Amino acid sequence: MNKEFSVVGKPVIREDGLDKVTGRAKFADDYKFPGMLHAVMLRISSAHAKINSIDFSAIENDESLVSIITADDVPGTKKVGMIKNDQPIFCNEKVVTPGDVLAMIVGESEAKLHELVKKIKVDFTPLPLLTDPKKSLETDAVLIHPVEGSNLIIHHPLRKGNVEKGFAESEFVLEQTYSTQLIEHSYLEPEAVVAIPLETSLGVKVIGSIQNPFTTRRFVSEVLNFPLSKVRIQQAHLGGSFGGKDDIMCILSARAAVAAMKINRPVKIRYTREESILESYKRHPYVLNYKVGYNKSGKIQAMKIDILADGGAYASMSPFVTWRTVVQATGPYEIENVHTDVRAVYTNNPYTGAMRGFGSPQPIFAQESLMDEIAVQLNMTPDEIRKVNGYKSGSITATGQKLQNHEVNLLTVLETAEEDTGFRKKWLENKKDKSQLIEYDFSSPIINESQFISPDSLIKKGIGLAVSFRGCSLGAEGTDAASAYISIQNDGSVYLDCGLAENGQGLRTTYSIIAAEVFGISTDQIIYLELDTGTTPDSGPTVASRATLMGGGAVKATAEILRKRLEELIRSEWNLKSDDEIVFQNNQVLITNHQSPITFKDICKLAYQRGISLATIGWYKSPSVGWDEHVGQGDAYFTYVYGCQVAEVRVNIATGEIYVDKVTAVHDAGKVINMLGALGQVYGGVTQGAGYGIFEEVTTDKGFIRELNFDQYTIPTSKDIGEINPIFVEGKDIYGPWGAKSLGEPTLELTAAAISNAVYNAVGKRFFKLPMNLEEVLLSKKLRPEDLKRGSK
Amino acid sequence: MISSLEILIPKNLNEALSLLVERKNNCRIIAGGTDVVPGLQQGSNRFANSELLIDINRIPEIKSITQTREKISIGGAETFSDMLQNQIVKEELPLLWKACSTIGSVQIRNRATIAGNFVNNAPCADTVPALLVYNATIEVESLSSKKEISIGEFLTGPYKTKLNKDEIVTRINIPIPSKEFRGDFYKLGRRRAVAISRITLAVLTKTQNHMIDEIRIASGAVTPIGIRFSDLEKLAKGKYADDKFLKLLSQKLGEQILNVTGLRWSSEYKLPVVQQMFYQLLKEIEHG
Repeated sequence: MNKEFSVVGKPVIREDGLDKVTGRAKFADDYKFPGMLHAVMLRISSAHAKINSIDFSAIENDESLVSIITADDVPGTKKVGMIKNDQPIFCNEKVVTPGDVLAMIVGESEAKLHELVKKIKVDFTPLPLLTDPKKSLETDAVLIHPVEGSNLIIHHPLRKGNVEKGFAESEFVLEQTYSTQLIEHSYLEPEAVVAIPLETSLGVKVIGSIQNPFTTRRFVSEVLNFPLSKVRIQQAHLGGSFGGKDDIMCILSARAAVAAMKINRPVKIRYTREESILESYKRHPYVLNYKVGYNKSGKIQAMKIDILADGGAYASMSPFVTWRTVVQATGPYEIENVHTDVRAVYTNNPYTGAMRGFGSPQPIFAQESLMDEIAVQLNMTPDEIRKVNGYKSGSITATGQKLQNHEVNLLTVLETAEEDTGFRKKWLENKKDKSQLIEYDFSSPIINESQFISPDSLIKKGIGLAVSFRGCSLGAEGTDAASAYISIQNDGSVYLDCGLAENGQGLRTTYSIIAAEVFGISTDQIIYLELDTGTTPDSGPTVASRATLMGGGAVKATAEILRKRLEELIRSEWNLKSDDEIVFQNNQVLITNHQSPITFKDICKLAYQRGISLATIGWYKSPSVGWDEHVGQGDAYFTYVYGCQVAEVRVNIATGEIYVDKVTAVHDAGKVINMLGALGQVYGGVTQGAGYGIFEEVTTDKGFIRELNFDQYTIPTSKDIGEINPIFVEGKDIYGPWGAKSLGEPTLELTAAAISNAVYNAVGKRFFKLPMNLEEVLLSKKLRPEDLKRGSK
Repeated sequence: MISSLEILIPKNLNEALSLLVERKNNCRIIAGGTDVVPGLQQGSNRFANSELLIDINRIPEIKSITQTREKISIGGAETFSDMLQNQIVKEELPLLWKACSTIGSVQIRNRATIAGNFVNNAPCADTVPALLVYNATIEVESLSSKKEISIGEFLTGPYKTKLNKDEIVTRINIPIPSKEFRGDFYKLGRRRAVAISRITLAVLTKTQNHMIDEIRIASGAVTPIGIRFSDLEKLAKGKYADDKFLKLLSQKLGEQILNVTGLRWSSEYKLPVVQQMFYQLLKEIEHG
């Protein structure tokens, strides 16, 4: 009895939608408790300094002050980290970046604390600054963390074939350098967390805007020296994360917990936008050198890649971010000879870590620019060069992995995008219009009469594309498993919970759809429980676009355990023959060649009466992957997704403005579970990717950030991005719930590269440095104000 | 973080003006709050020692748009959204209407007011170039006096105006331009909404058979405050508006801006762009 999906793939409104649009949903700062105190951070105006002493005498006796919290109050680990423990909870010895916090003062009035914190005197000795990552590995470079012995955070080498031989056999060799910028996640809700001391035997509870409750629990337990079970993390509704509420929230949670346990009162930390941008981690700026050898057929023979990532002041997620880079750096192209080195280094800049895309948007910008450049040189179209080199079923990746067990849909997404947009015709048409951007000579700021642009050639049209492959979930980064909890009540309503966390991406709705599909009931029968590490099983972090694949797999497995119990009950209760089929559908259970349908509710009631447990925890574990870190070879990820985005732009050649008129986003994310959720991912990802391409940049001056709020840090508004046209190619896969895989990050990683290629198509000029802001487009450089003073000058 | 402040909401102009006299040392006027609140939040010097905010939103005398045969009079506390919905503004003062439409976002325009846009005299105030070319005058009242001066005279220097501490901008009066004038307003920001202006330009011209009878030119954001370019206006008067002259005028604008501002970090970008876009604006007006 084959049945169509009842809810999977349909557009389902998110379960928290109404609460969020009516303001009922509780975010971290909405939680208030009797006796709750606030905490305010002490920082100094230096990016690198040795702390000699902190003098609190001016505030010690102030009645607004309840407590001062310093490193001495930390009972457990004083330094924490995602991978390396190099980040102090409180910096009592030295600061290595301006966001660093030396101590924290606690009291009832946040406003009073902000006045008091200015009166604390810190005696410090400035240390030499290191802000250029290219100088981090020089022998005389100052060490950011002397105990590490070097400023090298990580080096990932990859060796396949023989590149020198490959270059020697190539008809052409091209070398280019690209750079990408530091950017901010720009989640709408700044950091907020409250720690509540529980009864003595129970430890502490933390409620916050937390991306990864289980990682947060680890940090808090290490810092308090508590067993994991005495730290309970509850997730509040999250006002955006994009990978940004991981370590920063772990650290803020630990600080709040240290204070709460010392004072024995609830303590809240909440950041202003300025503090958020100042302290939170960002996306890695990369410098990428690519050397590529190819023949006139377009076939790539060899690729040598050298990438340097600015990890900033702390290691954070740098080792994993750059690992994804080394796996994917060639792009989805079959190349026999590859030689890649990816390094991340320490500097005194704001530290960098996880952000949606996670080490992929940077190499995609480089490698997709490079592919277009080769195409133009060889008189091919951008799609042709990609078809020559692109992955097909059975292709071998740069890491030596054979692509199998899933549909390798790279060329399918490319062809779909091409047909839908009429790519080739438009690309060739725009290319004919040869007029160039004007080269100004700034020694004479008044432009020549001949340089004035005639109004009818002010605007140039361009179309560009970019493709990618992306490893799903964690890959060889670590253990990859997730679990879910389902409890069916005797009236047929269902409680559902999973150890992966709602980050605003709509995971709860996706999981509810999966459970509803298995039970043949409607999604409104399912109540999604809040995530609490005290009751929810650990499923690892909600990262790497793994929620639908791994958590969804766990929810499906769990629901299937319970459905099997119901099926067994039905078989014995009605003495069914072994080939009688049972179908769960429309809130009913249908049995072949048998009586009228029974309601799901009645079956659940019967199970309860018969003493059958309808609550269970289920598990989904990824197949094993492998990695040899010395040569960068192995089956890096167990499955992959493919995407192609086409950007259609107009460029104003007088101002350098890029108008993104349309982005067609074709993604093979496997089976789509919630159509509305999937569309939302594309709209958001493309917009964020466009911001990365043309607007966004956190700039620093001696380590200090210039853009501390959204008046200066410009993210795209709804008026800046035109039509977004998502198209889903649902490739089959043996993994994930009904073959559902990853979508969140692929949607973002391609857009900047596609826009850059479109701009080239429009004006005949290639850009090597993101973002392509007004000055970059017109002058091929960035202009910076001389100081950090705010406001238009 | 904003420390605690007293807020009073006078119901008429007299009450507000009296408060300004009584509490003159530590009070600030607030209307939409789109400048004051972020300023307080950032601890801006402009709002240091503020203890009282006088909310002028409910004063009927400064909340209307009226029209006589010669002029349009806009209350100082009119919001941009109100102005955008006003047919008189839209038809008679299209440059001002367009300038208002480029400000912030719907939410900001719902709160921000016309007087609030220029009383702090920030260089990027979007309505200023339009008010300048429309020869707007500013009505200012205190308990003891009432005066009306031109916008150009009112705006004295960067973040400085002729407004005294005991005064309120009550009305903005704009002579209705003759139908023979054509013109446009241009704004460049880093994005298409919620953007601080990098360049603003307003141009109003009256031509006869391509001969420039009168031209009024104003800029914002590229100069320390919004200004009129009277030298250029004189130069253009009586000239034939051919392509060559429009280019020359654009170059001259560049020279004037360079003279006023000197070279700044942003000049390398802004100077060529302002010349190009001024030229585009002139061509567009010429073609109707």
